[in-house]
Amino acid sequence: MTDSQQAYAPGTAGPPSSQVADPPSLGGRPRGPARFKLGRIGPYAPTIALIALCALFTLINSTFLTIDNFRNIIDASAILMTVAVGLTFVILIGGIDLSVEGVIAASSVSVALLVANDHNGNNLGLIGVILAILVGTLFGLANGLIITRVKVPSFMATLGTWSVGLGVATVFFGGRVPNIHDQWLRDWELVRWFTFSPIIWIAVGVVIVGYVIQRYTRVGRYAYVIGGNEELAIQSGINVNRYKVLIFMLSGTLVGLSAVMVSARLGIGDARLGANTLFAAVTAVVIGGTLLTGGRGGVLQTVVGVLIVNVINNGMVLAGVDPYLQKAVQGAIIVGAVTVTTWPLRSRLRMIK
Amino acid sequence: MSEPILVIKDLDKSFPGVHALDHVSLEVRPHEVVGLIGENGAGKSTVLKVLAGLYAPDSGTVTLRGKRVAYRTITQAMDAGIGMVFQEQSLIPNISVAENILLGVERGSVRHGVYRWKDLYRHAQVQLDKIGSRIDPRSNTETLSFSERQMVELAKVLAIEERTQEAPIILLDEPTSVLEKEEIAILFGEVRRLREIASVIFVSHRLDEVLQVSDRVYIMRNGRVVAERDPKTCDSTELYSLMVGRALSGDYYRVDQQVPYDEATTRLEVKDLTLPGRYEDVSFTVHGGEVLGLTGVQGSGCEAVCRTLFGALEQGSGQIAVDGKVARFGMPADAAARGIGNVPAERRVEGLVMGMRVDRNITLAHLRVVQDGPVVSRPKEESLVREWIKRLGIKTPSIGTPARNLSGGNQQKVALSKWLISEGLKVLILDHPTRGLDVGAKAEVYDLVRSLASQGIAIVLLADTLEETIGLSHNIVVMKDGRISARHAAPPGGKPSQVTIVERMV
Amino acid sequence: MTPTTPGGPTNAAAPASPSGPTTATSRWHVSKESVTGFMPVVVLLALLVGLTVAKPSFASVASAQVLAEQTSILLVLCVGQTLVIMLGGIDLALAAMASLASILIGLWLPTNGIFAILGVLTFTTLAGALTGFVHAKAQVPSFIITLGTLGIWSGFALALSAGTTIPVREHYDLIGWMADRTGPIPNSAAVALVFVGLVMAAMRLLPMGRYVEAIGLAEPAAVMSGIRTVRAKTLIFALSGFGSGLAALMLVARMNSGAPSLADSLQLPTVAAVVVGGTAITGGVGGLNRTIVGALIIMVLRVGMAVIGIDAAYEQIVYGGIVILAVGLTIDRARILIVK
Repeated sequence: MTDSQQAYAPGTAGPPSSQVADPPSLGGRPRGPARFKLGRIGPYAPTIALIALCALFTLINSTFLTIDNFRNIIDASAILMTVAVGLTFVILIGGIDLSVEGVIAASSVSVALLVANDHNGNNLGLIGVILAILVGTLFGLANGLIITRVKVPSFMATLGTWSVGLGVATVFFGGRVPNIHDQWLRDWELVRWFTFSPIIWIAVGVVIVGYVIQRYTRVGRYAYVIGGNEELAIQSGINVNRYKVLIFMLSGTLVGLSAVMVSARLGIGDARLGANTLFAAVTAVVIGGTLLTGGRGGVLQTVVGVLIVNVINNGMVLAGVDPYLQKAVQGAIIVGAVTVTTWPLRSRLRMIK
Repeated sequence: MSEPILVIKDLDKSFPGVHALDHVSLEVRPHEVVGLIGENGAGKSTVLKVLAGLYAPDSGTVTLRGKRVAYRTITQAMDAGIGMVFQEQSLIPNISVAENILLGVERGSVRHGVYRWKDLYRHAQVQLDKIGSRIDPRSNTETLSFSERQMVELAKVLAIEERTQEAPIILLDEPTSVLEKEEIAILFGEVRRLREIASVIFVSHRLDEVLQVSDRVYIMRNGRVVAERDPKTCDSTELYSLMVGRALSGDYYRVDQQVPYDEATTRLEVKDLTLPGRYEDVSFTVHGGEVLGLTGVQGSGCEAVCRTLFGALEQGSGQIAVDGKVARFGMPADAAARGIGNVPAERRVEGLVMGMRVDRNITLAHLRVVQDGPVVSRPKEESLVREWIKRLGIKTPSIGTPARNLSGGNQQKVALSKWLISEGLKVLILDHPTRGLDVGAKAEVYDLVRSLASQGIAIVLLADTLEETIGLSHNIVVMKDGRISARHAAPPGGKPSQVTIVERMV
Repeated sequence: MTPTTPGGPTNAAAPASPSGPTTATSRWHVSKESVTGFMPVVVLLALLVGLTVAKPSFASVASAQVLAEQTSILLVLCVGQTLVIMLGGIDLALAAMASLASILIGLWLPTNGIFAILGVLTFTTLAGALTGFVHAKAQVPSFIITLGTLGIWSGFALALSAGTTIPVREHYDLIGWMADRTGPIPNSAAVALVFVGLVMAAMRLLPMGRYVEAIGLAEPAAVMSGIRTVRAKTLIFALSGFGSGLAALMLVARMNSGAPSLADSLQLPTVAAVVVGGTAITGGVGGLNRTIVGALIIMVLRVGMAVIGIDAAYEQIVYGGIVILAVGLTIDRARILIVK
């Protein structure tokens, strides 16, 4: 066995990287300093960055540091938070879910057409909401199966389902955007419980549930195991495929929920409601400190990431920056954050596609 | 003399081109530590991996507590009570020690998919207590030191006891190679303690360690068990010669063709090369026409040095000079540009592009030789490729055949020819060049080595066996634990014996 | 790593076959590679035949011209995508770059004429090169870096155009000819074929073609053969950038204006075209000739669906499904043991 085998780390959620087919790498011998490198970005860096950003934007525009503005930020964060928590689990196992916007499209249109609306006679209320969320779960199941059974890498599989989701939504809503008339659903945005709308409380609930899953359930713990060393997980008798499917289903469900939330907020069901969500969500997860290579990070880190993304968006608006540039900034953050976090892992024969 | 708990009889296992286990028989009794010693490729690790459930043997039997067994997965073996302690790579980073110890078998502490952390920690603590470790099961695995991780691995294997209610059999594969001296002492203490609750098979290339800790030792060579000795009464010289056996005749290595080289042409000079954690203060010189044999056990640093010389591994401190000019290689392309060629050990992954045509493989490293300006000239390429196919005797249906269709020996010739097509080749590094080849193919490689040397190329050879090293080299450099432990001249008629070399390797 | 013999799926001891090169064996000694080369052509022919049967008026010069015009822009974008996928990566930002380039053309062409064109092409090429360089040097997966640059280009396109289209009038003739026809031949098709032809020739004749194949098939071996992979990847992404710029010129020629999401709807079709054409995302297998077939299939499907009367919205579902199916069929399972 030679040193060369250690260099061929399992690929990340991109195009597949070639594996060494033989001999087995289990039991290989590392040399020198511990191979488990703690990222250069220490675990507190994102939080420090968040505080620094708040300080920066306050300097630029003092209205940043007001209760009203913070409420705006929290308002804006709720829906992204829901998506990002789900995406966190997918990224933890080393995958990616690009289908977010397509699923939001499909679920949003579904909920708008199932509850009381101006398009058809349906009035399914809570059932309609649950069904719409299940649309997301279904997409997650499809993603999971395609990845584990057809063996298509997650970035490609979810690229496909993204398009399918958008297509399904466009086909079903048939031209005119349905308006939601269901008052109970609209109240999710309009009512206030202790200052915040139910949507925000749902987001809080999602974070709590997400954390509980991550910390206390097998699905959550195995996400770290699979992301940490998938080969070893398989060797240890863990049914890795099952957990991967479950995690994609979890992500899909949360995306479906977020679609219902955004539809409630805007009062319509539209295939375009998910636009730019993928970006913001990936940015949030990455900058929060969850590594694309998997096995590191978590829900709480993503909370910080979501706040950072929204603070930046909000701050840019207050600073008079062109709102169109938000996407560009997020893109730059993705590139920057990933480059910085993977820099220490570089090695001469590491094959990253 | 109690009944053996584990009996292996006539275990046979082959990989493509390698007969790893040749009718191996040995036995392990309850509460004893059995040591396996032997050179690289003797088969020690393979025996362990078969027992652990990683490999299925081609034939032979394994009898555990009187029953015939055959395990296909690690989990099966562990359920039966056999566990192998891997190096730290087999721990999941970023989760707790407890989770690693109970990976895959958390059943007792997980109810309906929900983790009961108190139970998990408790169960893990039970395992840690068995080895008297003070590691906190709650701690994050990433924060542990090497030896602590080794302990966690040990605890993980000991969890077998709860799975089977029987005394476990613990397989230790080179457990000390990453440990410091103090940590090794701790490990030995643990192994002695383990004796009370388990049986242990201990594999290490470090003879003194194995002798120190084992109750009995088996000596393996070329996939066979050649002897069994009592560590307290055996003689280490005898052990060395058992390990190496009788050498093949010099003819096989064309020793008569070994031509003296010109002392004046220094092609490669290595001075004080150091890469922390891999090797230290490595210095040697290779002259045009000289074959320098670098030898040492796994982990001795030989392979790492060769990879650094080709730019495939970092160059820490120290100097590399080719034809007198100092060089620093950022990547293999830099080394190739300086006239260094490399035939890697992993032929299928690094040596050739398997899915690509033979002709393209041959010209891949030095396309300039067949270019007309910026464009690759197909006629030039064809004629060059055919010439080399003839010269090296490469058997291929056509020059457009994908490399993966060729036999191992012919693939190796293609991998070699890639460097030979360039007139500017100064130094050739051969990393296990005969691995996986049959006898005839090996002989052809030896011929090639001789002919290349006679053309004035400096050759750094990392051979598959000690015999090869001694037979082919003009000079031999022995490495152990990252440092050069001996240098020998090996002129025809004055070849050092294998025992002499092995002594400095282990 | 499965606990069986480590002989590996590609067994070096396999004897050379007398009937010629074979890869995965089948009863007819046909390799997977030639099947994936054949099938798309068969599919294309089947689609064309089916379409002509459904609508006989399809088999006309006019239809061929329209098809050629529509396919040509996609094809130009696909050149870069093909090469990136052959390396084993993916470029998610191709179309966004083209959209941004269309805005730049709209802004610069009126005042700078020919220099605007040169400037835009230079910009897209350099931007591509930078993407490739960071990807290769920092060892960041291509899908994530191009996801990021997708946002950057898209964001700038929106910001620079304030979200609206930018009509092009002055100096339009510098690029407008690309939307015309010379006799029966649409100029855009000629441009696309010339571009594809040049790149194909380059890949065949220049060392880079070998390097791309080697990196895609076995990057460790490519590195150990002295190939400068960072340089190669940078160049290929630069080429992809150039293609985006060229596609932008063609789009602006056709639409008489630039717009911030002008090319965005072409992103998935580029992946679909390359994959359906038979280039495997595992890398090293396939090529531009296959992509031509793939691009035609994608466009014929679009036309066909319109002809049959299927809502255009189904297109997305179809394309998404095709991508998944095609990748599932062409992926080289022997080379990837862990699918993330």
